[in-house]
Amino acid sequence: MVFLYGRWRFARAGASLPIVPTTHDVGGASEFGPIVREAGEPPFHHEWEARVFALNRRLLQLGLYNLDEFRFAIERMPADAYLTSSYYEKWFLAIERLLAEKGVVP
Amino acid sequence: MTQRFHTGDAVRTRAANPDGHTRLPRYLCGRRGTVEAVHGVYPLPDERARGIALTSCTKEALYTVVFDGREVWRERSSEPLSISADLWDCYLEPERAAK
Amino acid sequence: MASRVGALVAKLEAKGIVREAELDAAVEAFLLSTQRAGGPALVARAWVDPAFRARLFADANRALDEIGVDMTHWAQVKLRAVENTDRVHNVIVCTLCSCYPVSLLGPSPSWYKSLAYRSRVVREPRAVLAEFGLKLDPGIEVRVWDSTAELRYVVIPRRPEGTEGLGEADLAALVTRDSLIGTAVCRANSAG
Repeated sequence: MVFLYGRWRFARAGASLPIVPTTHDVGGASEFGPIVREAGEPPFHHEWEARVFALNRRLLQLGLYNLDEFRFAIERMPADAYLTSSYYEKWFLAIERLLAEKGVVP
Repeated sequence: MTQRFHTGDAVRTRAANPDGHTRLPRYLCGRRGTVEAVHGVYPLPDERARGIALTSCTKEALYTVVFDGREVWRERSSEPLSISADLWDCYLEPERAAK
Repeated sequence: MASRVGALVAKLEAKGIVREAELDAAVEAFLLSTQRAGGPALVARAWVDPAFRARLFADANRALDEIGVDMTHWAQVKLRAVENTDRVHNVIVCTLCSCYPVSLLGPSPSWYKSLAYRSRVVREPRAVLAEFGLKLDPGIEVRVWDSTAELRYVVIPRRPEGTEGLGEADLAALVTRDSLIGTAVCRANSAG
């Protein structure tokens, strides 16, 4: 399976793809525009977000993965997905990836 | 050694990040800073992110390092800015004498 | 997304790994705990009690124990309180993800987690603060704390003028969440 990370787009046969995720590393970038704020924002905008939050906490408690693996899974998602997914969408994609990689959910 | 630096030491962050997960932001790579606090020994997230167990992963000193923001962004400004980050021992080198 | 999440939860429940009812209970418990978030109480105590204030800056976790606030969220979290003065204004960010003292402040606002805030506040904090309606004198030092490890930060804002007669509960009501992040200051007539 070939994952696309940042600038790296091709896998040469026999070569291991360097994984240097950079899309998340945004300190100092200038292209993200004004800061949008929502007055009186609720903790979760949708019920599914709350479930993702609780699911992640439970899976961490169970030790299926640790917090650093979780952050790394978010960082490893394709750049366009990272830039366009909402906060809890990113969580969900990371959880799906980790569960697949660990053979918990095919 | 798990702790090479102490409060007040001048340090320089590594020039680039290696493969994998790490907690040194790119904007602070290769920058000169000062150790402002030493927080004890913590598991290295770079290893934990690869699934390495707490019992066997590297544990190193974690420091709060303070950087002059105007040096970080390489700009002249009369408005003082400092940026701090919490960095593991292996992200840092002793700072050589200023050129 | 709702159906994708539901499908994954169902698969995990079928494997005996999680129970949907458990997840719902966890959400309820979390939302309840956020209403008791102790940031404003911490600041009000620091404003009225100089000895507590000194202990807070020396060891914030111990100070939290004194007022009965537990920082445990994912795991035991180390907190550091940073002091706004007439010379220094502090602001907190996590440029790499979204680390935030949830146990103390409640859930983080979306703007804190946004690419725009994460990227810009380390680069042009004064412009960002101006967008939040906060204009700082040019001589004030801005200190940005990038939460890159398992330390969490809370800003202790300055006590507003004209609040000398107020008790702790009324003072706490003046402490806004944004002032604890550093994107606002407290005012005598602000709402918590």
